[in-house]
Amino acid sequence: MTRTLRMLAVTFWLQLKLLTVSAFTGILQIVYPLFFATTAFLVYRQNGDPAALVYAGLGSAVMGTWSAIATTASSALQFARWQGILELLVAAPTPFALVLVPITTAMATTGLYSLVATLVWGRVLFGIEVPVGNPLLFSAGLLMTVLAIAMFGFLLSVAVARYRTAWAMGNMLEYPGWLLCGFLVPLALFPTWVQWVSWALPPTWGMDAMRAAAAGESPWFDLTMCVALGTAYASVAALLSGVVLRSARRHATLSLT
Amino acid sequence: MPVIEADDLGRSYVTTTGILRRRRTTVEAVRGVSFQVGEGELFGLLGPNGAGKTTTIKMLMTLLLPTAGLARVLGYDVVEEPREVRRRVGYVFGGDRGLYDRLSARDNLRYFGELYGVPPHEQRRRIDELLDLVGLRGREGERVEGYSRGMRQRLHIARGLVHDPAVLFLDEPTIGIDPVGARELRGLIGDLKAAGKTVLLTTHYMFEADELCDQIAVIRSGTIVARGTPSELKAAVSGGHVLEVEAYGVRPDVVTAVRGVPGVRSVSIEDQGRSQLLLVQVDHGVEVAPGVLALLAGTNVGRVITRQPTLEDAYVELVGQTESTESVG
Amino acid sequence: MTTLRIFFVGGLISFRALFGWLSPWIYIPTMFVAPVFQVLLFAYLGRSAGVGSDAFYLVGNAVQYCAVPCVFAMANTVAGERQTQTLGIVLATPAPRLALFVGRSLPVIVNGWLVSLVCLIIGSLILGVSIPVAAWGPLVLTMAIGAASCTGLGLVAAAIGLRVRETAVLSNIVFGLLLVFSGANVAISAMPDWMAAVSAWLPLSHTITAARDLVAGATFGDVSGLVLREAGVGLLYAAVGLTALRLLETSSRRTASLERM
Repeated sequence: MTRTLRMLAVTFWLQLKLLTVSAFTGILQIVYPLFFATTAFLVYRQNGDPAALVYAGLGSAVMGTWSAIATTASSALQFARWQGILELLVAAPTPFALVLVPITTAMATTGLYSLVATLVWGRVLFGIEVPVGNPLLFSAGLLMTVLAIAMFGFLLSVAVARYRTAWAMGNMLEYPGWLLCGFLVPLALFPTWVQWVSWALPPTWGMDAMRAAAAGESPWFDLTMCVALGTAYASVAALLSGVVLRSARRHATLSLT
Repeated sequence: MPVIEADDLGRSYVTTTGILRRRRTTVEAVRGVSFQVGEGELFGLLGPNGAGKTTTIKMLMTLLLPTAGLARVLGYDVVEEPREVRRRVGYVFGGDRGLYDRLSARDNLRYFGELYGVPPHEQRRRIDELLDLVGLRGREGERVEGYSRGMRQRLHIARGLVHDPAVLFLDEPTIGIDPVGARELRGLIGDLKAAGKTVLLTTHYMFEADELCDQIAVIRSGTIVARGTPSELKAAVSGGHVLEVEAYGVRPDVVTAVRGVPGVRSVSIEDQGRSQLLLVQVDHGVEVAPGVLALLAGTNVGRVITRQPTLEDAYVELVGQTESTESVG
Repeated sequence: MTTLRIFFVGGLISFRALFGWLSPWIYIPTMFVAPVFQVLLFAYLGRSAGVGSDAFYLVGNAVQYCAVPCVFAMANTVAGERQTQTLGIVLATPAPRLALFVGRSLPVIVNGWLVSLVCLIIGSLILGVSIPVAAWGPLVLTMAIGAASCTGLGLVAAAIGLRVRETAVLSNIVFGLLLVFSGANVAISAMPDWMAAVSAWLPLSHTITAARDLVAGATFGDVSGLVLREAGVGLLYAAVGLTALRLLETSSRRTASLERM
């Protein structure tokens, strides 16, 4: 057990190191969501309600974490395929699920850079101050959101391992995630059936938890839902990974040719 | 018990072409491949590009599921017990890929060490040993992206050895490496065998197979066309000798005529720019030089040599001989 | 005649070769699904803020999104050639440069134009935005000019791409700049003066304003001034891009930097 935990910790750390030294990922992950955040701020600013700006300021800070997964998870595994590393990862005796989880968790963690950058940007350029009523619970909410997004990324990467073109689908999830998880737009605006889809996504609950903690309200229900959903996604992904790998071996999609 | 066992192994692909009218074609990459590798043996799978070497090795590595036959490594079935196989084998392939460029060599080895469950207290020592073995000590802190191809290949081998596997699969490890680097790598491979590891090597370099391997299987178009020790292969194919004739502008009909000379097993031509080299494989004990030279009377002839066949001759004959008799499609 | 062939056929083949997005699994999500979601994102944002109408965000984002095919694809065409190491080979041919690069631009323009139109149609259906029938003709033309203009910017990106290694980062930044400054989501009249000034010099800004007017019921005559200005901007970028490509080609012949990755 301890061996597994150590393996998860060390591989997470090395993957994080790998992602951090890549300036390319860095610039894109921080700068790109900033454009969208800026646009959102410019729109909300016309409204004249400062609370709306705070709403957007907090939500847009988390956008980067979602993007980190939606875009990076898919493309990173595709990149691994190109680099011949995907095969090596599969060839290791460690269960593929345990190989993937540290990778996607590291990716989601890099979203924290974007978080800080967006908060600073909002503060400096637009004067948005996000009050944090309960820092401890806020951090817990943030941590759970990052982990939940990592689990979603885990599910996504399982698909990418099997299908060579799945990475484009992953890219496609960036916008819907921003929209549906309530980062920039209150869910009350959506038709009911859309809200059901939102509630099925773990980051939605994490975002709510963070907003509640920032406002000094109780985030416990939201936190619990976030953790529960994240665990559900992880379990589905773990179950699928065995099936998917076998299929990938049958259809020879682990490599390029 | 053989360490590696392939029994009538086969792998076919179905490809679809076209957008509107989809045509399905079945390609058999590997067909009926059977061989056995004993403990401590260095086994070579020799064949031209596209012969099915990589496909075979990937099946043995549990990365591909065979569509026919079965394979076992150290007694474990590659399909049913992949994890057991993976614990005990190392996989090394040639080329630039297979490493995290933006991590250092040490970090790469640490990463895979963790994935292969190398005990933490052993990791540091093992990594140091491996770096010494492949000659990368002193540069292990640098990022791999700055390495030369030869260095990458060596690191790749170190990575394949990080968990001290009993069996090693090497897929064209010297491809694209300069001659000096390749020679060092071959030395390294020889050392591994001396250390008692069982190695399966694929290559399209005959001299490499000749130098390193205890046993060779020649694979062509997915099937094994010959098997044996390097000397057996040389002997089996041509018990005779080779007549080398340097000619200037030899015509195809002349070549066909030479083929017809009694005692001639096969004729191949090597283009050497302004001249051609006619390689005539001759049966044992038959003298064909006068007959052949008579046919070449109209052509400018340079050097004429008679020599013993090399593994290259055997290989060219094995791999090339069926081409003229093979029907297309 | 050969020039025309280089123009049309060469352009199309290179488009297919390098625009590996021809796999429907990649092409359709990127070109037709993502822009609709961008429209939805900002339309709902507008509703939440109580600023702007659905039509406002629909038109703005539908037009702005053509930057993905027009800028990315154009920059990738050159970067892709460098990757497959065919750039040196292509530039070694005696083909007239203008026909060569403009030929490569044509499929890109058509692609961009198509993307904007399809997004507009799908978006209007989902959001329930009605577009006057009379406006479609002028809209189609206006958006075509917009796509062409944006491709001009793409040529500049392609030229920079010859020098810079990370073309994807560059293309993404250009996309982002257009998102913020082109008026896709913020009316130019609501922008601070300096932003409005920048906007006037970017492709797509005039197209977006013109398209919005058309949807609101204006005639082509009303917006022709804007369309002309857009065409002018596009030609300017195209000229800069082509000149830059030519210069870089000559300089890289001197410094052997063409294949440097």
